[in-house]
Amino acid sequence: MRRHWLILPVLLFLVVFLIIPYVNMVRMSFLVKPQGVPYINVFTLGNYAKVLSDGFYWAILRNTFWYAILTTAITLVMGYPLAYAIARAPNRRRPLLLMLLIAPLLVGVVVRSYGWLILLGRVGLVNEMLRYFRRGEVALMYNELGMIIGLVHVFMPFMALSIAGALQTISPDVERAARSLGASPWKAFWRVTWPLSLPGVFAGMLLVFVLSVSSYVIPILLGGNNVLVIPMLVVQLLLDAYNWPVGSALAMVFFGLTALLLWVYVKIMNRSLRWSVR
Amino acid sequence: MTERRSPLFIVTVILLYVFLLAPIVIIVLAAFNSGEYLRFPPEGLSVRWFVKFAQSGPFVRAFWFSLQLAAATTLISTLLGGTAAFYVIRHAGRLRDALRLLVVSPLQLPAILTGIALLIFFYGTGIGTRGMRALLFGHTLVSLPYVFLTISTVLIGFDKSLEEAARSLGAGPFTTFRRVTLPLIKGGVISGALFAFITSFDQFPISLLLVSVGNTTLPLQLFDYLRFSFDPTAAAVSTISVLMSVGIVVLIHKLVGLESIAWGGPR
Repeated sequence: MRRHWLILPVLLFLVVFLIIPYVNMVRMSFLVKPQGVPYINVFTLGNYAKVLSDGFYWAILRNTFWYAILTTAITLVMGYPLAYAIARAPNRRRPLLLMLLIAPLLVGVVVRSYGWLILLGRVGLVNEMLRYFRRGEVALMYNELGMIIGLVHVFMPFMALSIAGALQTISPDVERAARSLGASPWKAFWRVTWPLSLPGVFAGMLLVFVLSVSSYVIPILLGGNNVLVIPMLVVQLLLDAYNWPVGSALAMVFFGLTALLLWVYVKIMNRSLRWSVR
Repeated sequence: MTERRSPLFIVTVILLYVFLLAPIVIIVLAAFNSGEYLRFPPEGLSVRWFVKFAQSGPFVRAFWFSLQLAAATTLISTLLGGTAAFYVIRHAGRLRDALRLLVVSPLQLPAILTGIALLIFFYGTGIGTRGMRALLFGHTLVSLPYVFLTISTVLIGFDKSLEEAARSLGAGPFTTFRRVTLPLIKGGVISGALFAFITSFDQFPISLLLVSVGNTTLPLQLFDYLRFSFDPTAAAVSTISVLMSVGIVVLIHKLVGLESIAWGGPR
């Protein structure tokens, strides 16, 4: 029995509110922006020329990708032990560990950034403690450091979940077998468990990179006025300058480059996965 | 059987959890602290910031608006995501993978990009962003995948012979659905709805772009507030939001088990 009508409402919804808006945005990036009105229906490549020839955009672009790469690397180093602890926890303790990982994920980004402001701000708890012990204060917020701390905090659960998902399909017996054959715990991990968990690691890195490259709230709240990333520029162009064509063109270039980067990444990773299985 | 872990590993994991939970715990502490700032050593307990929140017009209005928006989003995305999950898991045949990819795609696309696309679209078509409409469509779009994934998970583990038994005993398709299928997948449906609710309630990038004058959501109000002051009223508001999230995680765990959600879903 085929009930095709079941899928119709969703299809209609996604066509109207996802596919058409995205196609429309691509169109917008090729339209002319005159003074006074948002756009007119005249085709131009000028918006792309403007974005691609501006050294300022390229500098911010490089920074944005660099922050995302840094965030991905740190979440990997921190997320792996967390994932390992969860996947190998005894059955009765695992739900609690999982709950403590997922609960922060459901707390809004603004709320979590606020928590960091209370902790690390100029009049925050850490600086209060330093002052109490007469140690002066340190700038932990409103700079790159503060932003990276916030990004790592928000995206680490995604990394840990992805890796834990891969780890829990690997039987602990495999590692035990390596141990019984004389491998040290460290060697058993690097030669057996780590290669088997790579699919989860790669998937987690992909996810965290995409999420951090497009994040907007954390750079604003925790980076203050000292950090600039492309999503901030795009939103400024759209909401403050009402320049939809150039804003769309910048967004297309940015996410086009991101997609290209990810495509190369997936190609390389697939090859190295095939190698590690051999 | 579990092995002994090295103390170094255990300490590392504990520190990682401290890092993960510290900013959330600190908000709750700041909300119940009597002083303007969290000082070291702390100054004492008080609920004055909650009272201040209840008396603050903008926060209370934003709170109610967010609740209504999240409720409407939950209703629509659960209906849309539920029917989609049924079709994709049970009837889709060869199109199964393509359809699943399409329904989940709002999750993969950067929310800020989706927000921009919707903003330009709503203005271009004259739908505009007045009232709740634009926000409702935007929130439904990003909540839909969560409902779909959660309900798909329970449908995959569903024993179809129970439905066949009901049908062979003379129940119609609708009665079978209402009396057999629905009670069995109830946990998944409610979990999906809870995911949709919290996704909408916490949504930021989409709301920022689609919000209209006069109707602001709680995260946006909080964001505006935090750019200029650090008054613990914001901590009281945030604490309510934290408690909601924790409550929802516990509920979902009771309903379907977090493990099935974390890595049991269709990939």
